[in-house]
Order: sequence, then structure tokens, then C-alpha cells
Amino acid sequence: MSFRWKQAEPVSRQAERKTPASSRFGDQLIAVLPRLRRFARGLTRSVTEADDLVQAACERALMREHQFQEGTRFDSWMFRIVQTIWIDQLRARSVRKEDDEVAEERLGTDAPVRRVEARIALAEVREAIDLLPTDQRATLMLVTVEGLSYKEAAEVAGVPVGTIMSRLARARVALQQQLDAGGGIRGRTKNAEAQ
Amino acid sequence: MQKRSDEAHSDEALIAYLDDELDPVERQHVEAWVSADPAGRERLAALAQSGDLARHAYADIINEPVPERLLAAARGETLDGETLDGETLGSDRASQEAQILMLKRPERTAAPMQRRWYYGLAAAAGLFGIAFGGAGSYLGLTLFNTAGSAGRQAMASEANNIWLDNAAGYYKLLANAGDNKLIDVPATNDPREALQKISQSLPQQMRLPDLKPWGLTFRGARLIVVDGRPAAQLVYGTDNKAIGSLSLVISGSKQADMQPTFDRRQDVNMLYWRHQGRAYALVGQTDIGYLWGIANDVAWQLDAI
Repeated sequence: MSFRWKQAEPVSRQAERKTPASSRFGDQLIAVLPRLRRFARGLTRSVTEADDLVQAACERALMREHQFQEGTRFDSWMFRIVQTIWIDQLRARSVRKEDDEVAEERLGTDAPVRRVEARIALAEVREAIDLLPTDQRATLMLVTVEGLSYKEAAEVAGVPVGTIMSRLARARVALQQQLDAGGGIRGRTKNAEAQ
Repeated sequence: MQKRSDEAHSDEALIAYLDDELDPVERQHVEAWVSADPAGRERLAALAQSGDLARHAYADIINEPVPERLLAAARGETLDGETLDGETLGSDRASQEAQILMLKRPERTAAPMQRRWYYGLAAAAGLFGIAFGGAGSYLGLTLFNTAGSAGRQAMASEANNIWLDNAAGYYKLLANAGDNKLIDVPATNDPREALQKISQSLPQQMRLPDLKPWGLTFRGARLIVVDGRPAAQLVYGTDNKAIGSLSLVISGSKQADMQPTFDRRQDVNMLYWRHQGRAYALVGQTDIGYLWGIANDVAWQLDAI
């Protein structure tokens, strides 16, 4: 077994090492985990998938720590990583088009559970948000739920600010319409019963 | 069509107003509009309510306990999903930290310390995929799966546990005793003299790693007994609080060479490895990133001289 280790870091560079910054990096990463989970939950609509997504994002962030620019928003950087991985996964699985169908299937197969949840208003709101197209849902999560500015959300999503504005408007209006119409589960249940 | 476009435009303006994304002129325009138009006010209120509901709908996720696997991922650690079952993964963090994480030497990079240490370790872990170390069943199971003789492996693992416990214990003794109090052979003017004296009691000649580049000064050495064998504990000190005192335990070993492995026991961090008939453990309170860099340096020096 070869055991030769190469020369360690040049000694004079000790002061330049980024250990304190790296510690901050790790601390920041752990601190932002709850929000990453929430954002991922909004994207994936699944607890397990969301956590898988966050885990993948953590691993990618550590690999690309050197790309993070001190002084910029760490949470935005992480949201971008989460979203990028999510989009990659969607493309890889070719489920972007089927995404909403999958959600409908889930809702249909879990009807008893869903009916219980339907009694909870906030669960209905989540259901209504789940029905939004992916782009709108992601924008809503970034701006309305996570509190990013339009500019920050645009950087995360890699789109112009105007696109964020229009996506957000469509999402908020659709959400409001869903809720006004007794959307979410109740609306779907009515539709299912009618069929 | 024009009406729908206007409505969309109005909705964008109202939402941007709620999100405080309008400049002062636009803001005044919206305020003038909603104050003069009851329908506009109603629309604004409805959109505000939907936003509040969206925020509240996801508020509880923030308070959920973060799964251990995500904390481990954020720390750059690897929980071996094939050997840790779901119950183990769900256990408390303290027990998780007691698990041995099999860490491997990172690939050489131009500036290795510019990466977070645990990335290097985790990446290297993926390259080698070896497991070894202290936490009972995990250790045992892993060894049993990776070696032919379960009995020999179990004995070796137990011996290794004792060795590591001893190395950690001697470090704590030294740290609790205070500066240089327990050092048998203090480094006076010539550190090599201290080493020579220690070496006389050991089966093999010792070499003294120079850790001055890390701001660590050789304070002296102790002759100790780990796992029933004589060993040297080389003691280094520094004013750098980020590193603190360190000890390097070196003893003879009949076990096979082993890649550097991280462990934490008795509240101290350890990097240990075996090479060409010797076992080494670098022990200290400092961040594992420092330990890794220093151990890298130590191993290089001892191997190259």
C-alpha cells in the first residue's frame, strides 16, 4: 500500500487558510437547513424527496465552497443550488410534463388521508400551492415564503426580474382563486365526485 | 384581451407593492389607485391574504427537527446507509458523533486547505470505502464484512479501541495537568535530546516531526503505555487558540497499514493511522481540519526523512 503523503500545505500559508471562513461556511450551511428543507418541500411536494434534494445540495455546496463569494447571501446561493439540482432531476427523469399528473395521482391515492388534512386550512393552502406549475411554485416559495427580493429570486432562478414578477403574480392570483373557490382538496374532491 | 392584460399588470403592481418592490413613484401610484378604487382595495386585500396564508402554510417546517442525515451532509460527513440502518440513523446526534466515520486521504489539490476539511475527507471516503473504528456494533459489523477472519478482526478492533482510548486518555491527562507538568523529558535547548531519551525506551528509533510551520512548538515527550506496549507521546504547544496543545502518540504495531481515520472519544479529536509497523495518533481539541493538515504534514515528514 502506498502511503506516501505529499507535502502538506506550505507553512507560510497558514495565516491564509480559510479555516475560520470554512467554519462559518459549515455553520451557515447547518443554520440554513430548515429553510432549505422548506423550499425543497415546496418544490418536490414530498418530505422524502425534499430531504434527498437538500442532502444533494449540501454535498454540492461543499464541493463548490470555493465558488461562494463572501459578502453575498448564503441562503440565496443555497436556494440556487437546490433549485438547480431539482431542475436537473426533473430533466433527468423527464417528468417535468408529468409533474402535475404525478401530484394528482398522489392526491387521488391518498384520498382518506387527504380528506382528514382537508379540515386543516393551512393544509389546503399547501395543496393549492402544490397545484401550481413548478416555475410559479418555486417563485412563490422564494419570494413569498422565503422572503427573497425579486432581484435575489431572479438570480436564484436565473431569469430576469420581470419574469419573477409575472410568475409571482400568476402564482398569487391562482392561489387566491383556488382558495376562493374552495380549491385545494375540496375543489378536487368535488371534481372527482362529479366525474 | 386588453382587460386581462391590464388585470395581470395590475396584479403585478399590487403584489410588488405588497412585497415592497416598487420605487417611490410607483408606490404612490398604487396607493392613489387603491384609495380611489374599492375593487382595487379588495383585490389588494385578497392578494395580501393569499400571501400570508402561503407563509403560514410552510411556517411549521422551520420548527421540524432536521434529520441527522442532513446535518451529517452539511458537516461533510458520510453516514454509510448500507451499514447504518434506519434506527441508527434516527438516533440522537451524540450517538451519531460517536460513530466512526471512515475518512480517507483527500486527493492532492493545489490548495488543499482552501476546501472545507470534511469535503476532502468525505470525498476521499468515497474513494476507499473502508470502515474502521470505535463504536461497537458498527465497527464489528463493518470489519466482519470486509475481512475473512471475523475472530481476528474482532480482536484487532478491540485492541485498536484500547489503543485509541489510551491515546485519548493520555492527552486528557496532560491537558488537565496544565503546562508541561507531566512531561517526562522536556524539550530544553535541544528537542532532539528529549527524543533520543524517549527513543531509548522504545523498540524503534523515533523521528521528531517539525510542526513549527503550524505554530506548534515541541514541548517534550512522555513514555507511555498504550495497549500494553511502550509508546511515545510527543507534546506540542502553541499560543494559537484555534489549535491548542496537541500530542502525537507513536507506538509499534503488528497490524496492517491503515489509512488515516478520524475518531472522537473522550471529547477529543483524533486522527490515527498505521504505517510500516507503527501506529500513530494525532490527538487534540482542535478542529479536525487542522488535525488533518497537521497529520498530513507529520506523515509526510516521517515517511520522507
